[in-house]
Parts: sequence; C-alpha cells; structure tokens
Amino acid sequence: MGFDLNFMFVAMKESIKYIPVTLLLAFVPFGVGLVLGTFIALARLYNVKVLGKLLQIYVVVIKGIPVILQILIAYYVIIQAFDGVAENLHWALRSKDIDLIYIALMALLFFGTASISEAMRGALNSVDKGQYEASYSVGMTTTMTIRRIILPQALPVAVPALCSSLIGLVKGSSLVFMISVTDLMNAALIPANTNYKYLEAYVAAAIVYWVINSIIERLFYTLEKRFSVYRGESAL
Amino acid sequence: MGDFFDFKLVIAYFPGLLSRLHITLLLVLLATLVGIVFGTMIAFIRIYKIPFANQMATVYISFMRGTPILVQLFIIYYGLPRILLNVGVDINRWDKMFFVIMTYGLNMAAFMAETIRAAILSVPIGQSEAAYSVGMTRIQAFFRIVAPQAVLAALPSLGINMVGLLQDSSIAFSLGIIDVMGKAKVIGASTYHTLEGYTGAAIIFLVLCILLEKGCSIVERKLQSVIIGDGR
Repeated sequence: MGFDLNFMFVAMKESIKYIPVTLLLAFVPFGVGLVLGTFIALARLYNVKVLGKLLQIYVVVIKGIPVILQILIAYYVIIQAFDGVAENLHWALRSKDIDLIYIALMALLFFGTASISEAMRGALNSVDKGQYEASYSVGMTTTMTIRRIILPQALPVAVPALCSSLIGLVKGSSLVFMISVTDLMNAALIPANTNYKYLEAYVAAAIVYWVINSIIERLFYTLEKRFSVYRGESAL
Repeated sequence: MGDFFDFKLVIAYFPGLLSRLHITLLLVLLATLVGIVFGTMIAFIRIYKIPFANQMATVYISFMRGTPILVQLFIIYYGLPRILLNVGVDINRWDKMFFVIMTYGLNMAAFMAETIRAAILSVPIGQSEAAYSVGMTRIQAFFRIVAPQAVLAALPSLGINMVGLLQDSSIAFSLGIIDVMGKAKVIGASTYHTLEGYTGAAIIFLVLCILLEKGCSIVERKLQSVIIGDGR
C-alpha cells in the first residue's frame, strides 16, 4: 500500500476550506485572552487583595489541567446543565440548539487566558522597578505609568511567549474534534472515512497546520523587531 | 436534570482512575528518556552544524513544534508501520503503547533539542578555554566542565517540557490507550456519569502537574548545591 499523493491533495483542499474555523478558534481566544490576561497579570503583579489570590488559583488550575479535559468538561457541563437552567429561566434555547463551536471557543478562551497571563506576568516582572519609581516621581498616576511606561517595555519581552501561546491555541484547536466541531483536521478526515486513507489525511492536516504556524512565527518575529524600537540605543 | 453532577461519584470513581495512573507515568517517563536521548543527538548536530543533518534537524524541530501532537500521533501510528514494512520489518501488530511512546518521545526530542542546545551554548567559552589550558582533552573538558553547567541551565526548561508532556499525554486515549484519561472515558461510557469521571481525571492531572513542578524545583536546588557547591 503506497502513499496516495493525489488523495493527500484532495484532503488538503478540504482542510484548507476550514482554515477560517481553526483561525477563529485560535485568534478569538487569543484576542480576548490578551486583554483578560493582561488584567490578570496586572492584578497579580499589584497583589490586589483576594482577587490576586483567586486569579493565581485560576491560573494554576487551568494550567494544570490538559486542554482536552477542559473542552470535554465544558461540553458536558453545558450539555447536561443548560436545559435545566434554560427551563427555569423560560428561555426557548435548548442545549441541542447551541452551536458546539461556542463551547469550544469558551474552553479555549479559558486555556488561552491562563497561558497569556503567564506570558504577560513574566514580561511585566522583567521591567525594572526603577521604571515605576521614576514615572511616579514625575507625577504620573498608576494608570499612566502602566500604559505609557511599563507596557511599551513589557510588550517586546512578551512577544515570544505570546507567540507560543498563540501556536498552542492553534494546536489546541485540533482537539475540538472530540466534541465534533468540524475544523481543519476534521475536514481533512471526512474524505478519508470512505477509503480509510487516514495517513494521507493526517499528513495533509499536518502540512496545513505547519504552514499556519510557520506564518504566525514569522509574523511575531517581525512584530518583535518592530516593538523593540521602543527600547535600546535608539532612544538616546 | 437536577442531579447532573454528584461529587460522591467523583470520589467513588477515583480508585478506578488511579489504577491506570501507572500507564500515564510510564508514558511520561519513557517519552522523556527517548526525548533526552534523541534531543541530545539533535542538539549536537545543530551545535556542530553538520551539513545536511543540520538542515534536516531544523525542519524536524519546526515540524514537531508546528503541528498538533494529535496529528503526529496518528501519522506515526499509521505511517511508521508502512515505512518499516518497506525495509521488511512488520510492526503492525505491535502494542499501541509503543507508537504512543515513540510519538511523545520524538515530540519531546524536538523540544529538548532546543533546550539542550541553548543550555550548552549558554556556558561561556572561557570555561572550555580554561579547561584546555590546564591540560584537559576536549572530551574531559566537555564532561567535567561544560556538561554539569549545561545540565543546571537545562533543568528548568526540562521541567516545563515534562509538564507539557504530561498534559499532552491525555490525548493518547484517542488511540485506545487506557490511561487515566482512557479510564475516565470508559467510566463515562458505562455509567453515563461522564462529567464525574472527567472531573476526577482533571483533579489527578492537576495534582500530578503541581507535584512535578515542585519536584523539579527541589531537584534543581539539590543539583545546584551538588554541582556548584558553596564555593569551598
């Protein structure tokens, strides 16, 4: 049994059609997670009472549980609990009407936020303490300090970690097939179900993922160069 | 559906889940070993920039880091027997565990290669020069001076990679391995209390993850005092 190259291209064509789904599953959690994650990182950095501790527990728990379990647990919680809640609130919506992609998005958002907040926290910690003191000493408020002084310095440091968070999300999005959402990988497998040429289908999916992640890596590399303008010799 | 989640069942399913814990641990340990062995080889190929092999290693690392482990798992499961069949070795009937360990090991190798490479390069060149100047051979200098320092530098990343591997190991059940995750799925299929089974598995993974992180930092501290000492 040789490797059917033609069928690989058939599967690849199918999977390319579903790239938007995978990108949606990766970029929406990334975008929302970037905002939430930054706030979590700031709350933990400033040791906000109670909230800081709670967020720390959240991050440890989410980082300790595999993504696949998070997706499955979110799925079963919603499938099993939603109808009861909806009945009590007299909603017409039932769990079978929910598009499963929203469940996948939610689970990936939880996962993405935790990993992004860790990336941001590391970057914020890398900014020298003297920078805070200096900006307070010229009369800036805390918000101004964070926005004008700290974040511009922290972002270039955070870029590599953010890049691996995003790639982690792209890779994690392949797991949504467990709750039967059709993404890039699932789409490649559909034509293989009739002729059992799974190897070709998986190789096709792998190539598409590889290309997507290589592009993301390139993009972030350029971004890092761009952001680094804010620091270094050019300021003098 | 008022009783959709029963915490008592989580506790009731716990012994069943723990009875498959050894599979998860075996998977993580063997894959780490395979990863360290292959990773070190790839790291040396990249450090010495061996022509052709260096380019192959770069592509390999990029592929392993750029594709989901799930895809790699199935490619190795379906692909490796076919490749080996061409050279006359039939591994179609081999245990699935072998393919899983190979996949995770090869995946880990890509991550470890970068870690080990960075760790070896992080040792200042002056250390080797000093070793040569007191008359050590290249091999002596590497094993006595460079390697201990590189091991220390690589440890934190090794810990992070192992935690990642532990988390990835939860996907092995899609190939039919009955590890903690697989057992949770079996429980779900036979009792319809899927959520309780998965919650139990989540707790086990969380505890394992925290223990692994703690363990790594303890080993790191211990090794630091053994290798570097207090200067006397």
